[in-house]
Amino acid sequence: MVGVSELVVEVDGLRVSYGSVVVLEDVALSAAPGEIVAVMGVNGAGKSTLLSCLAGLRRPSGGTIRVLGGPPRDTAGYWRQVVLVADLPTWYPGLTVREHIELVRMTNAPTDGWCLEPDELIDAFALASRADAVPLTLSSGQRQRLSLACALARPSDLLLLDEPEQSLDAGFRKQLACLLRDSYAPSGGTVVMATHDLEFAQVAGARRVLIEDGCATEEPT
Amino acid sequence: MTAGTTALVPGVAPRLATVRKFTRRQRQGRWLDWYAAGFGVLLACIYLGNFLVQPLRRLSSGARGLPVGQGETGLALVIAAAAGLLLLAQSLGPLTLSPADASWLLMSPLDRRGVLRSSLRALTGAAALAGALLGVLALAMAGPYIRAFTPARLGDWLLLAAVAGGALAVAMVDVLLLLQPHQERVRPAARVLLRVIALAAVAFAVAGEHWAGLPRAVARGLAPVSLAATSTVTVAAVVLAAVAGLAAWARLRSFPADVLWADSAHAGRVRLAAAFLNVQLLGWIAEDNYWRRRVLASRPWPKRKPWQARLSAAWLSAAQPSPAFLLAWTDWRRLGRRPGTLLALAASAIAPALVTGALTGTARGVASAAVLLFGGMAAASQGCAALRRDTNDATLRRIIGVAPRPSLVARVVLPALLAAGWLALALGLLASAGVLHARDAGSAPAALLWVTLGVVAGPGLAASAMRLARTAPIDATALGGLDTGAGTMPTWLISRIFSVILGLVGIFPLVAAVIAAFGGLHGPGAGSSGASRGLSHGLSAGTIVVQAVLSAALLSLYLLSASPSGGPRDSTGLPGQE
Repeated sequence: MVGVSELVVEVDGLRVSYGSVVVLEDVALSAAPGEIVAVMGVNGAGKSTLLSCLAGLRRPSGGTIRVLGGPPRDTAGYWRQVVLVADLPTWYPGLTVREHIELVRMTNAPTDGWCLEPDELIDAFALASRADAVPLTLSSGQRQRLSLACALARPSDLLLLDEPEQSLDAGFRKQLACLLRDSYAPSGGTVVMATHDLEFAQVAGARRVLIEDGCATEEPT
Repeated sequence: MTAGTTALVPGVAPRLATVRKFTRRQRQGRWLDWYAAGFGVLLACIYLGNFLVQPLRRLSSGARGLPVGQGETGLALVIAAAAGLLLLAQSLGPLTLSPADASWLLMSPLDRRGVLRSSLRALTGAAALAGALLGVLALAMAGPYIRAFTPARLGDWLLLAAVAGGALAVAMVDVLLLLQPHQERVRPAARVLLRVIALAAVAFAVAGEHWAGLPRAVARGLAPVSLAATSTVTVAAVVLAAVAGLAAWARLRSFPADVLWADSAHAGRVRLAAAFLNVQLLGWIAEDNYWRRRVLASRPWPKRKPWQARLSAAWLSAAQPSPAFLLAWTDWRRLGRRPGTLLALAASAIAPALVTGALTGTARGVASAAVLLFGGMAAASQGCAALRRDTNDATLRRIIGVAPRPSLVARVVLPALLAAGWLALALGLLASAGVLHARDAGSAPAALLWVTLGVVAGPGLAASAMRLARTAPIDATALGGLDTGAGTMPTWLISRIFSVILGLVGIFPLVAAVIAAFGGLHGPGAGSSGASRGLSHGLSAGTIVVQAVLSAALLSLYLLSASPSGGPRDSTGLPGQE
């Protein structure tokens, strides 16, 4: 059992509402270093909202959130430790796929923790044939691969993934789940991901948390 | 089941009229919608009327004594405007459907021509109106040089000019419509041709400013034009429009859905952005369209040079490119890959001189200063594309992981340089054309002083452009704003106006000097007298010093006071990658 002080993510009594509509009510969640947590639930259950709160992009109406020992902050120091891969990523105009991956790596230097080299990422994410392409011209699945590749091009302590399986083919989903389980998590990285794909969560060896009616409940493995 | 759906009989191919009737019945029309539309039309008429008053007055007075260059410059600008409008029509389709129709009616068993009929009608109407307006403007420019033109026959001339202009515009737009399905080869060629025509017209206008023989040749060419010849041209234009219209009408039956679907989606986004004066989104769309058509080769990022790496002295670690520098480099690289943008910026520096040449009266000084302000801001904005992207995308900011303040400081260099370069070039051209003068230049040429003023004013505009780039996207549904008494002014509009005011404050000494050089806001300053008055309102070295201090102070203040990040936002509101 990991001590409370060592937890990477600690959420207690979280409440989030959009106007009069309460999306999350009294949600509790924790994640230890090296752990993969899959947040599951039907559309509109509040999975993405929970990730936004962990990333510090949305202020909750109530409760406490502690990420890496403190509240989510909008600072460069926090961003170096936490990576969020959400839907609809934007890319810099006039830069290629390879240049984006290299830029992420270089702006996060020194790269002391676990991460993959740009060449390794391009091969692992099957982007070799499109390495010189502008991200705009990629298919939706390739764009999703690029977002994930950028997230793994730099060291981090917490990876927040919002439906990472989106637009990915079945083979690559499995490959990604294995990468997270066998490489990222053993290096001490924590993953909290919102997903609808039970098989993906199972292959990744994730602890499953179900959000239903605004509350989170642990699912049996 | 509603009353409208009863007309849709299962098993029978639906008629378009039935579908339209159904969709209109579901739309709750309100008096406010009609009021808004009517008010818009009224305002357009008022502005159009004001716009045409001067040319019409010029024609009705039979102004024969006008400088010969004005007609040539004006005609060239009318041709450039026509080419620009056709370019705009081509980039938007020209034939498109509303997003809802494109989604629901295009890929349905309904008759394709029926679905497209109203779009073609609207396109033809808009083309005819714009063409008629340009025809009248062309007549206003050429009329004073035509021997046969007399104010007594003004009505005939106006009618012929409007009909010929309208018919030619309709014919051109229909030709573009016929080319629309040929996405791969013909459309790019048409785009290049229209750009060449527009640029050639502008070059012709500029050349006329310097070589007096050119305007004289144009005036000589216009002199023998008769009413009968104009009538013949008008009839030919009408016949051409009719033939092109029939061909377009015939093409509608089998107009390809894929082309319409893509163009309608694109035009829908542009229309939405234009409706809210969302320059930010329009720029975003144009940028994406540009890069979508390009093939690039990845290049390495700047690194420490080998001799720097070999030396291990601690102080040399600063020579390693910092993350903020690397982030700022994205805009340098982007611009390096768009040399056309730099060329276009350099070419557009002629705009203040053109405005000065085309306008008369005291409006020249204010108009030139306004073109300098907005032109400089546009030039600086070209260095803020990457800033615009990651400011509005928290995910991208987090993946990059660079602290906002250092990145903002590193990114200020390019917009400041671009604005400085553009202003220097524009002012240098104005001064070399003899429009602007210097008071205590000593031995230094006046142009050099004005160029120096432009250089030191650049940083003053960079703050404004960066603020615009970092402004949150327009949220048309957001409530709240400033109550003006005549209605609520939305916060997005206030924010953008503030950015423009910041730019105006940043280059106020420059603006004041330019207006003063034209004889002030209320001085006569018409024609050549404006230039002669400029001698007594020339630029002084003190103005340059004041401008330099103001630029530095404003930029420093902005960098110190700008919020380091946007903070938590509910949504980005910007489009994702298509």
